[in-house]
Amino acid sequence: MVDHPVLDRAAVPVEEPAVPAVRMVELTKRYGGLTALDRFSLELGQGEIVGLLGPNGAGKTTTLRTLLGLLRPSGGRAEVFGIDAWRDPVAAHRHLAFIPGEFAVWPQLTGRQTLDLLGTVWGGYDRAYRDELIERLSLDPSKRGRSYSKGNRQKVAVIAALMTRAPLLVMDEPSSGLDPLITATFQQLLREAKQRGQSILLSSHILSEVEAVCDRVAVLRQGVCVEQGTLAELRHLHATTVEATYVGTPPPLDDVPGVDDAEVGDGVLRLHVTGSPDPLLKALAQAQVTAIQMREPSLEELFHAYYDDRADGA
Amino acid sequence: MARRSPVAVWWRAYRHHLRLARNAALAWIAGLTALSAGVAVTVEDRVGSEAERQLLESMHDVPAFEALQGRMVEIGTMEGFTLARWGMFGILLAVWAMLAAVSLLRRAEERGHVEPLRAGVLTPRGLLAAATAALWTWLAVLALAIGASHSALGFDPPTAWALGGAAALLGASFAAAGALASQLAATRGSAVALAGTLLGAALAVRVAAPATTTPDWLWWATPFGWMGFLHPSDASQATVLLALAALAAVLALAALALGRRDLHAGLVGGEEASAPRARRIGGQAGLALRVTAAAAGTWAIIIGVVTAAFGLLTHDFIDAMAGMATMVELGREMFGMALDAPEGMVGATFFFVAVLLAAAAAGQAAAIREEEASWRIEHLLARPVGRTRWLVTRLLVSAAALLAIALAGGVVAWAATRLGGASVALGDALLGAVNVVPVAWLTLGVGVAILGLAPRATAAATYGLVVAAFLLDFVGPFLELPDRVLDASPLRHVAAAPGADVDVTAALVMLAVGIVAAVVGVLAFARRDLKEA
Repeated sequence: MVDHPVLDRAAVPVEEPAVPAVRMVELTKRYGGLTALDRFSLELGQGEIVGLLGPNGAGKTTTLRTLLGLLRPSGGRAEVFGIDAWRDPVAAHRHLAFIPGEFAVWPQLTGRQTLDLLGTVWGGYDRAYRDELIERLSLDPSKRGRSYSKGNRQKVAVIAALMTRAPLLVMDEPSSGLDPLITATFQQLLREAKQRGQSILLSSHILSEVEAVCDRVAVLRQGVCVEQGTLAELRHLHATTVEATYVGTPPPLDDVPGVDDAEVGDGVLRLHVTGSPDPLLKALAQAQVTAIQMREPSLEELFHAYYDDRADGA
Repeated sequence: MARRSPVAVWWRAYRHHLRLARNAALAWIAGLTALSAGVAVTVEDRVGSEAERQLLESMHDVPAFEALQGRMVEIGTMEGFTLARWGMFGILLAVWAMLAAVSLLRRAEERGHVEPLRAGVLTPRGLLAAATAALWTWLAVLALAIGASHSALGFDPPTAWALGGAAALLGASFAAAGALASQLAATRGSAVALAGTLLGAALAVRVAAPATTTPDWLWWATPFGWMGFLHPSDASQATVLLALAALAAVLALAALALGRRDLHAGLVGGEEASAPRARRIGGQAGLALRVTAAAAGTWAIIIGVVTAAFGLLTHDFIDAMAGMATMVELGREMFGMALDAPEGMVGATFFFVAVLLAAAAAGQAAAIREEEASWRIEHLLARPVGRTRWLVTRLLVSAAALLAIALAGGVVAWAATRLGGASVALGDALLGAVNVVPVAWLTLGVGVAILGLAPRATAAATYGLVVAAFLLDFVGPFLELPDRVLDASPLRHVAAAPGADVDVTAALVMLAVGIVAAVVGVLAFARRDLKEA
């Protein structure tokens, strides 16, 4: 075993900076008549963290498994640092480490044996960093796989991926089964990885996690990407909640573009505005407004907006 | 919403286990009934003359035959010959019943299927009882199948039904033994080992029984021995049935009495704290060796026991054969085996080893598929390990393990034959061992082809092909099937080396077909989606 070969490589990236860590172009996966993923395109720049959001069955795991070359694309292509993931998975995998959502361990191997095995087949790992991760994530590596709880199995998966210091980290609901303290440590580890310049593609149900660490998100619904962008861009597309207090006559809100759900009460009005707030502000200026609060939607509210739409449409 | 009563919940759990065990149970019921009925038809059809009957009858004076086959009574008759065969069929049934019980109780637990069942009103004992009762139900179906089919074939009806009942109760006893071991042992593997030890001990007593001066006493010391007292002339059918029923009940009650244990633990030995001697696995080849070692070790022991038993009895067999010229001739004509020479006996031994080694090869194909079905393969294939490299490495390790198992069997056969007073050269014994390897490699290659093309069928289809090959070769000649049908079994092309010359052409053809099948499998595997269970 070599102690620090990968650390050196990660510290001075060999990848061409202009090449995105991940590029999916019109990626499609069909199972018979079922389209699990429909013409999904995504680019993940180096040093960027992108979150993949969606409910069960939205196509997140299919996306990641196709990116890893474990599933054959029915259309389009997926590249890792410019390498086609299906045609040359071994070359692509030299640049990435993967954390599955459900880590099926070899029951007869200890945690340490599993880590050593996975690090060895990756091509080497940073032993000192492995020990640090074991310490920070509170794993007992001397136990056999069969006696690990779900959370401890997941810790093995997290350590096995991070200890390689691969330039790209692909994660499928990586913190599932981790307790809140370990989840916080895990999020800190992701931030540290980003600071080192590692790129991360993260599929998650935990919206607070995505909100805390991701630069951009892509929202999948029934295999189709319904939205993609920075959190600020997504928020811009959705309604901002406005609450204003006024004295005297309420401001005229009829026919103000972008205003919905206006409720006018006793000196207080509440409404939602989508798009530019400028017409609303001009309308409010016609009244004697004494206070105004504007709140952007949280990621959870955005998420509900997308999926409530789906429920309405279903 | 009204809650379901505990009885209704138990009934639902029972039906669930009935369904879980259904496919394997139906295959075993059909296979064993057909095998036993085939033997009955064969005797009635083939043993026509009084001389042939006399020849068969003479076999029961030979302890070596009884050690292998079980107790023999009036084996010149349809009932006697068929009942004697149950000395072997009963072992197969017991092994399946035991493994099925451990699988229902412990494999399901390892896969996390038990928590949802136990989270309601179902108690641990209720779950244990549901699984055991489901297996017993299928064994009752076996009793009906054997009783009805054998009566229809002209068996003495009470004997047909006694055989069906005894077979079912023997299976029920070992299912209960499997359930008991599942309560005691900490893991599925140790439960199999514990129940297997019990089965092995019962079998060892039966093998030793014919050598004793007071034979009946030792025959009655093991349930496998009881199966030898089903012939009407012994007038012991009711006793045998009662004894087997009592054994099944006692073992099941013991399992129920010990029915409270923690999940993922046993009453003997708890959760392991750590593994202080854990050594590095190394890379992917090291992992392949590690995951293959346990199964290879188990098969080496099974084949070692078979070759040791045959080897120790070789001298007695040859002595007995000296006075049975017709039997020797029959062996030479039908199987190409020189049963009057040690080399011939070793060759005959390795016919059984060929079947076992092919089953071990099917087990390897199934284990490779299990790595994919459990999705553990993802950890390697999401790293810089190519699919072709992964599968070829697993394949080569499995092929090497099969060769090693066969060679170990050859060494044991050589040593046991010498210990038993006969003499065979080590080189000849090893030749017999190497001679059966191509058929195992062929099975492995075909298994990999199935893995590549129809992954979910890998285990069932590969094991099914081995069973079909065995039945064709073992029962086919008695059924007078056309040669071109019989020739479809690769086992038919395994020469009885070292008693006969190795059929090099057949071995090369098997190797070539195995390699082509493996290449097809590897290419298909590299081009398809990974498939879950």
